[in-house]
Amino acid sequence: MDLNLNVLRLASGLAAHATARQTVISQNIANADTPGYHARDVTDFASAVDGGGMAFSARVTRPGHIPFGPGATGHDVRETSALGTETPNGNTVALEDQVMRAAEVKQSHDMALGVYQKSMDILRMSLGRR
Amino acid sequence: MNEMMKTMEAAASGMRAQGARMRLSSENIANVDTPGYRRKTVTFEETFNSTRDARAVKTGAVNLDRSELPRVYDPSHPMAGADGYHLGSNVDLMIEIADAREANRSYEANLKMFDQARQMASSLLQLLRR
Repeated sequence: MDLNLNVLRLASGLAAHATARQTVISQNIANADTPGYHARDVTDFASAVDGGGMAFSARVTRPGHIPFGPGATGHDVRETSALGTETPNGNTVALEDQVMRAAEVKQSHDMALGVYQKSMDILRMSLGRR
Repeated sequence: MNEMMKTMEAAASGMRAQGARMRLSSENIANVDTPGYRRKTVTFEETFNSTRDARAVKTGAVNLDRSELPRVYDPSHPMAGADGYHLGSNVDLMIEIADAREANRSYEANLKMFDQARQMASSLLQLLRR
């Protein structure tokens, strides 16, 4: 029983991670032609599960404060430094790279939802309902 | 769900910006033969809404290309001076078409992000339907 609930928590965590990553990627793609923009990405799910990533986060006590760190949104967003992608105007977004990342996100989101649904099915079956 | 809305907002702002760029490009192409026309250019800027932690893109001010206008020899032209020359436009069709093609590609990438966010949201809602 306990195992199953852990699986559910892990699956919903992965789905939330994929959603946060999707937001960052779509912001990168929207800014694909903005001079001086640096591509960003969320640190991978494995390090988020292990409790890695940035050790501290800024406290946000007023609306004007800019949140950063894992506590701010629950996910640690960092600039990705892919070598050789910088264009003369200082932009580091490579569309192909971003689309690949988006495909990864879609896959992990689908997987998370699949695992969640399957676990729910198993729970439901063990309760004797169909 | 808020994250999904942020994703869609970023993608929509990207499409809006690329659409504006495409419009300026087509205005330039339409005026390629207008005497004295200077090509219009636009820059993209990153926007940041700190209260909702939403990043997007917007178009900056429209600028005119300051490069020198070519002198066209055509004595029969109504605007020709005493020496038979008049000023042409500094629109280069090749540059405009390349620019429009790039805007098209970026627009499609934004559209793909929007569609993917929509798919992820609807598969999330699918979990409730059982």
